[in-house]
Amino acid sequence: MIALALSGIWKVLAAGLLFGAGLPTVFALGVRSLALAEGGEAEATPGTRPHPSARVLGIACLAVVLLAVALGIAFIVASGLGKELSFGHGYPTFADKE
Amino acid sequence: MLYFCTVTATLILVLVVVTALAFDFTNGFHDTGNAMATSIATGALRPKVAVLLSAVLNLVGAFLSVEVALTVTNAVIKVQDDSGAPVPELTSDHGYALLLIILCGLVGGIVWNLLTWLLGLPSSSSHALFGGLIGSTVAGLGWAGVKWTGSGDELGGVLGKVILPALASPVIAGLVAAVGTWLVYRVTSGVAERFAERGFRWGQVGSASLVSLAHGTNDAQKTMGVITLALIASGQWSDTESVPVWVKLSCALAMAAGTYIGGWRVIRTLGKGLVEIASPQGMAAESAAAAVILSSSHLGFALSTTHVATGSILGTGVGKRGAEVRWGVAGRMVVAWLITLPAAGVVGALTWYLGNALGGAAGPAVVFLVLLALATFMWLRSRRAPVHAGNVNDDWQGTPSTPASKEHAA
Repeated sequence: MIALALSGIWKVLAAGLLFGAGLPTVFALGVRSLALAEGGEAEATPGTRPHPSARVLGIACLAVVLLAVALGIAFIVASGLGKELSFGHGYPTFADKE
Repeated sequence: MLYFCTVTATLILVLVVVTALAFDFTNGFHDTGNAMATSIATGALRPKVAVLLSAVLNLVGAFLSVEVALTVTNAVIKVQDDSGAPVPELTSDHGYALLLIILCGLVGGIVWNLLTWLLGLPSSSSHALFGGLIGSTVAGLGWAGVKWTGSGDELGGVLGKVILPALASPVIAGLVAAVGTWLVYRVTSGVAERFAERGFRWGQVGSASLVSLAHGTNDAQKTMGVITLALIASGQWSDTESVPVWVKLSCALAMAAGTYIGGWRVIRTLGKGLVEIASPQGMAAESAAAAVILSSSHLGFALSTTHVATGSILGTGVGKRGAEVRWGVAGRMVVAWLITLPAAGVVGALTWYLGNALGGAAGPAVVFLVLLALATFMWLRSRRAPVHAGNVNDDWQGTPSTPASKEHAA
């Protein structure tokens, strides 16, 4: 039982770090890039020149986070309905539990 | 005599349903803070808006839980067979024996939830429920009536479903939140504080909403399972595969109403007491909580939203350089966690002895009156130093906040 618990703990920790720490970091990268794109007041050192091209990276980061949140909601809905998310088709679909 | 029996059976069933819904209500307001305390503390959401959002998401989440949660009680006590139906020995006399155990278990859970709320301590509602049920089961069926350990090839019983997750989950969540907070501050180190603060508020509200939704799907179905078990035991329902519509509706509404009332005392401790939280930390904490709750429920591990949320908030204080963590407050919380299960169990056992000694219709009725008296007493005590939407964010000077701040009421 202890071995079983430990293997569970490792899995939750790995998933937690990937999604729970990884996604906020991607979000932070998005905020960082948008500040870089804006320049001036948005930067800690005022008067920094804006770099508009960074906006693309910033928006891409936020899009990744939004997508992950949508997956999270789909996951909650799926488990509530007694189904599970399947990635068998390369994109997520609801499937019956095995 | 037959007439008397029907009256008794109806009375105890009604009392079980009402008490279960009351438990669901305390479950709601005890846990509002898990999702919303950080958003309220950083000002990302106004207090009333935060509890409304959380209540709506809990309601939606509760309706999403179609899967039957009938075996919830089965994880810790031996009152059901594998299909979820109550064991035959307990279903004579319209299930009186089983209903008394459930009633007293629920009373134990509610009393402990109210006491910890009064003290402003975020303790686990599921532990309180399990503790109460374990206590009344030990009183009613003896020590052998409780599943202390699982079968060995799965995580089950009190040890696997309650104690191990309680030890592991706050540490995991805290670690994830600490790493997340550290990375977020590293990445945004050159960004002006006002710009970062604005951006992270969005992330914070989004991640807190996920926690609320997950809470609704997880917790409301526990009460649904308990009420359905009671209905089956008394012969009012026979389908072990589904929950009556009115049960689902009333549980969802009770939990949402509790969430909307907002356990301001607990919210205050979580949002202001443990750590002074800024938006980036709030987002890191709620993201960690959401990720840990969702991944462990996917892997089939039972855990308490409260333990995860508290661990995350502590972690986010550890992860930010120079942030103050009030370890004294954290210590009080850990003590509350440790005694939640036995304390709720003692209340469950004592009320069972009382109800069983009186027997008949008087037993459950007196148990219910004891619950009402204790609840009224604690509510009156809370009025001496009320915490509400208007003073929930006042500077931390210990729990609960001073009555002087009452004038700021919104």
